[in-house]
Amino acid sequence: MRGKEFIKTLFMSFFIIVTLVNVATYILGITLQPEIQFGYEALLSPLIYGFFGVLPFAIMYSNRELSVRQLLIRKSVQLLLIEVLLLYISFGGGMFDPSNTRLAMPLAGSILIIYVLVNLILWLLDLNTAKSLTNELIDFQKNHNEADISVSDD
Amino acid sequence: MNKLGLDVKVRKIEQNAPEMVEIQCHEIDHRVLEIVSFVKARQGQVTGWIGEKQYELAISDICYLEAVDNKVFIYCSKEVYETRQKLYELEEILTQKNFLRISKSVLLNLMKVQALTPALNGRFTAILMNKEEVIISRKYVPELKKTLKGGK
Repeated sequence: MRGKEFIKTLFMSFFIIVTLVNVATYILGITLQPEIQFGYEALLSPLIYGFFGVLPFAIMYSNRELSVRQLLIRKSVQLLLIEVLLLYISFGGGMFDPSNTRLAMPLAGSILIIYVLVNLILWLLDLNTAKSLTNELIDFQKNHNEADISVSDD
Repeated sequence: MNKLGLDVKVRKIEQNAPEMVEIQCHEIDHRVLEIVSFVKARQGQVTGWIGEKQYELAISDICYLEAVDNKVFIYCSKEVYETRQKLYELEEILTQKNFLRISKSVLLNLMKVQALTPALNGRFTAILMNKEEVIISRKYVPELKKTLKGGK
């Protein structure tokens, strides 16, 4: 992936991540720490997670078309980097108490679920594009078949 | 004399006389066959080979063409033929017949595509009428969209 398309995917991924982090924060918060109250600065955390979550997308940048094998390897490395980076900023960056290790597993699990969901949503967007392209293709074929018939002047 | 080593003469004829291409040669070699293939392609036919046997293929019967290791193969619904023309030469002619470059090595007949589905990493798969699947590279997707929207 490269150029405009890479930037477009990056932005789409960012906004999808931010939305999903909001949902995950709500579910994890209400399940694990319902007593905690936040200030306005908490509104920034989905954006911070979104920003750091898209950074490892850089590994998908390529001038060449990747093979399925190369793609899967890069996706695995990307997931690993996202997990390490987001866990590090969560516990090392002061968002969570580093001694509260019981939060680490649910957080890592949430990151994995969000990663899968982001890829699923991007695939669903591609599916939608494919459906509209198929409809355009059917119209194209219909128009060109009609054009072929009208060529005969006899 | 041109790079093929043949003189080219074009003669205007009367309106009622049939137009034709005549090649005068010492032997029918690859240069001559290339010219014949080119002329036939302009007329809606491509010459394909299976071994030493030659076939005249209607362009409308071709699903796609693929270049593999300096050879170009023509994929019809059932048979695969080899052609002695280069992919870029065929592209020049076939783009006017609803063919589109969908990857570095493949020219696809859009009239033979049944549906498109997403593949990994922004690519698409073209499912052909004969259920065969061909990958459309990401790089060529914008051109496909443009063509389907009537940009070509």
